[in-house]
Amino acid sequence: MSGYRSTTKLALASSQPSVKTVSEQPAIQVSNLSIVFDTNRGQMIAVDRVSFDVAAGEFVCIVGPSGCGKSTVLNTIAGLEVPFEGEILVEGSPVGHPRPDIGMVFQQPHLFPWKSVRRNIAHGPRMLGKSAKEAGAIADDLIAMIGLKRFADAYPNTLSGGMQQRVAIARALANEPRVLLMDEPFGALDAQTRAVMQDNLLELRDRIKATIVFVTHDIDEAIVLADRVLIMSAGPGRILREIAVNLPRPRSSAILIEPTYLALKRDCLEVIRAEGLRAFNQSDSS
Amino acid sequence: MEIGAEAIVQNQTPKRAAVTTGADRPGRRPSSGRFRRLNVLVGVLSIPLFIILWELTSRSGIVNMVLFPPPTVVAAAVLEWMRSGQFFWDVAASLYRVTAGFLLGSALGVLLGILTGQFPVVSSLLSPLFQILRPIPPIAFVPIVILWFGLSEAGKLFLVVWGVFFTVWLSTHIGVQKVDRGLIRAALMLGTPRRQMLQEIILLGALPYIVVGLRTAVSISFYTLVAAELAGTFAGVVYRIEIAQQNLQTGQVMGGLAALGLISFIADRLFAALAERTVWWR
Ligand SMILES: Nc1ncnc2c1ncn2[C@@H]1O[C@H](COP(=O)(O)OP(=O)(O)OP(=O)(O)O)[C@@H](O)[C@H]1O
Ligand SMILES: [Mg+2]
Repeated sequence: MSGYRSTTKLALASSQPSVKTVSEQPAIQVSNLSIVFDTNRGQMIAVDRVSFDVAAGEFVCIVGPSGCGKSTVLNTIAGLEVPFEGEILVEGSPVGHPRPDIGMVFQQPHLFPWKSVRRNIAHGPRMLGKSAKEAGAIADDLIAMIGLKRFADAYPNTLSGGMQQRVAIARALANEPRVLLMDEPFGALDAQTRAVMQDNLLELRDRIKATIVFVTHDIDEAIVLADRVLIMSAGPGRILREIAVNLPRPRSSAILIEPTYLALKRDCLEVIRAEGLRAFNQSDSS
Repeated sequence: MEIGAEAIVQNQTPKRAAVTTGADRPGRRPSSGRFRRLNVLVGVLSIPLFIILWELTSRSGIVNMVLFPPPTVVAAAVLEWMRSGQFFWDVAASLYRVTAGFLLGSALGVLLGILTGQFPVVSSLLSPLFQILRPIPPIAFVPIVILWFGLSEAGKLFLVVWGVFFTVWLSTHIGVQKVDRGLIRAALMLGTPRRQMLQEIILLGALPYIVVGLRTAVSISFYTLVAAELAGTFAGVVYRIEIAQQNLQTGQVMGGLAALGLISFIADRLFAALAERTVWWR
């Protein structure tokens, strides 16, 4: 068996929310990140001096209204959005171009239509110079992990949306990234599939070592998944509030009715409502 | 982008282009068995009926039989053509010109389409030029080709290559530009180096468009073949038609037309079958 399993055995001890230790270097450090787009209506500040850290192994969710710059922040950490102002360090080194130690799952699966499930997942390892055999073994492990053995040789257009997104996640994991960025990966799925996918992701997360930043506009999803939720505001995008989620793990979508959960959700909603009102009044008066 | 150009490619949706057969389109309400059988019957009778009608008209005396010979006369002319041994050489000469011109023109078209599609600098340099040259009908180049190449094969090749090139170039260029940005970003995040990006993502992403362009180019190569052989040569199906016309052998003229039609029909069918295999993931 190839390198993949051996590393996953050392799964992160994450049954408790991770605690930031002073000695440990954060996996992601974003300081004073600002992004300005040139549009035909002049310059538009999409992201305004955003700063946050993500500890190694931590699961952070970013929530915020549509258009507040969540994708832009994530793409910038991924190295897909240049130039930017401010500094981003991932695993201690600055980003500026895509790096194989940073994995990304997009809102759309973006699977290569001409490659079977196995070849899609093997693509990353192949590109990093692994032999076809090694890459195939890594892919087979991951296919077993996402429960799609029967579909290993299927082409993406024959899979359902949920299956495609699972393949996209496996494909991003195949390079064993230290940091996994996920941009509303379940946004296009129906409520049932979404709940299953969330449970799957939490299970997977217990087996990989990656630090995860997960963008969503669904507060329930954020609280179920995250150790910490960052709430963003719109126009220009800033971080409004940070909420630690101290719910016990392992979690599943069953916690959606627990009182502690509801209290957290109320906090989040209040922040968002206040911000919504502020934005509304502002746009009214201007 | 080039608006007219886009329309060309979009008119022939890549997905469907390879499979359209015209007769029974999916999505039509299934007609009752009786009607379906009637349709099949009429379909089978279509060509025989036409030939019988043609034979009767020609022999009825309404038209001049020398100018409008019946199918039996045409068939006799074709048989004579085959027996003389000229048929083989004519078809071989024409097929050679079409094939060589198609292959060369397509290779150049795909190569330059990738370059202009991928690199804005190359596109800025070449696209304006190509867009000016592209609309000139290849037939209009016959006079200058005769001046340049005389009656040589090079001139024939030039005309076919010229006709094929622009279509293939344009569809490749558009195909490359239309490759899903999301796929490229996903590939970037997986550590895909430049060369593999071209081979594994961009080329395959553009393939459905390229295939549509190539298929159009198959029929274009036959159009330009006509121009090329009319420009003067010593063998070829169209050349034979022209000679027959000068000798008022109308049967031979029509036989030549039928042969040309049949050959280009077979070429198109073969290419369609090939195309379906090329875009294997559809
Ligand atoms: N390439 C670009 N050029 C110009 N403006 C852009 C560009 N990309 C994003 N923007 C603008 O930046 C803002 C933030 O966009 P972004 O996609 O990051 O929002 P988002 O929070 O991810 O929204 P959603 O929840 O709808 O995905 C938007 O107002 C958008 O119009
Ligand atoms: Mg987004």
